[in-house]
Amino acid sequence: MTPFKLEIITPEKKFFDGETEQIIVRTTVGDVGILNGHEPYCAALGIGQMRVMIDGKFRHAATSGGIIKVNREKTVVLVDSCEWADEIDVTRAEAAKDRAEARIKKGESDRQIRMAEAKLKRALNRIDTARYK
Amino acid sequence: MKDIKRRIKSVGSTRQITKAMELVASSKLRKAKQRAEQGRPYFYELYRSMCEIASANTDFSTVYTQKRDVKNRLFIVIAGDRGLAGGYNSNLLKLAAAAHAGDADKPKIIAIGKKSIEYFSKRGYELVGSFADVAEDIKQSTAQDIANIALEMFKKGEVDDVQLFYTTFVSSLTQEPQQMAVLPMKTQKLDNYGTMCYDPSPEAVFDRIVPRFTASLLQCAIVEAYASEQGARRTAMESATDNADTMIADLSLLYNRARQASITQELTEIVSGANALE
Repeated sequence: MTPFKLEIITPEKKFFDGETEQIIVRTTVGDVGILNGHEPYCAALGIGQMRVMIDGKFRHAATSGGIIKVNREKTVVLVDSCEWADEIDVTRAEAAKDRAEARIKKGESDRQIRMAEAKLKRALNRIDTARYK
Repeated sequence: MKDIKRRIKSVGSTRQITKAMELVASSKLRKAKQRAEQGRPYFYELYRSMCEIASANTDFSTVYTQKRDVKNRLFIVIAGDRGLAGGYNSNLLKLAAAAHAGDADKPKIIAIGKKSIEYFSKRGYELVGSFADVAEDIKQSTAQDIANIALEMFKKGEVDDVQLFYTTFVSSLTQEPQQMAVLPMKTQKLDNYGTMCYDPSPEAVFDRIVPRFTASLLQCAIVEAYASEQGARRTAMESATDNADTMIADLSLLYNRARQASITQELTEIVSGANALE
């Protein structure tokens, strides 16, 4: 497969800047795979896994919401946060999961529950992704 | 003579403090500048994507770009957590106060930084959000919280106009307070935007970008304001240190003169005493 340029950018830094043969992202309407020469495309991303193929091997990463933009010259993924599977601190993710669950049980206001739910979703996603080390 | 000596000592210790603050500020400034650089690509790409959507879809409209008659305003004011930074805080707060001088009602305020919170709560403004001690290590989630307050209020029609006040970092020596319109959102028309396929729809993607863009905008502004604060503090402390240096030099001169005078006087006394004995 022909490689193409990929940039993954988070608010903190440029997370990845290089070449990939294929990238699969979780959009709000389902998983979408991008190969070289894809038509210009832009989609909203949810919390989920992203798979980036480098030298014939998929690297897994946990991402939270954002967008993906495919252009002729390059593909850009803009996400709130992104972590490679082998960089995920599982104990921290577990702790975040427990905290979020406790907060949902306490259930103070709708807004807080919604926020805790989003946190729980992110923590579960990270724990899940960490399996693909 | 004793008095002068005491003053030299006290000015000297003040000088030590200002010198230390100057050094701390310049190292913090360096870090803040670096963070500002790192956050820029994200912000830039988001802004470009928004403009692309708005340019490619002429019939497109969302609540965030709607212009309404301005009845209620919301000001987001980013000032420092600490003083001793020259005119940094007062210049910015003055600008914010001047910006609504002609309005009938006071605007609602989201205050960021202790100095900003203090200023507006003392003067009877309605604070819809106050955030202290967040600037040094601003997190995306904090910026998102702040942005959500503003977006929610705008969406519900509680405010019709959101303005941001922060200090731009022109250079290490100059920082300028600035006002910036946040909502309703303005997008630039691009010439070569191409045709893009949006999934599920341009509006959905746009609405997804808006909160992130606003948060990113705030984050960048906070980082930049923080860099400005450090720059202003460094300059202020530098001149304080210089002033202390000249003061010490003047005082030492005075001290040495006084010392010499007293020695001369003692000598004359001894000599005249010896003369009297002869």
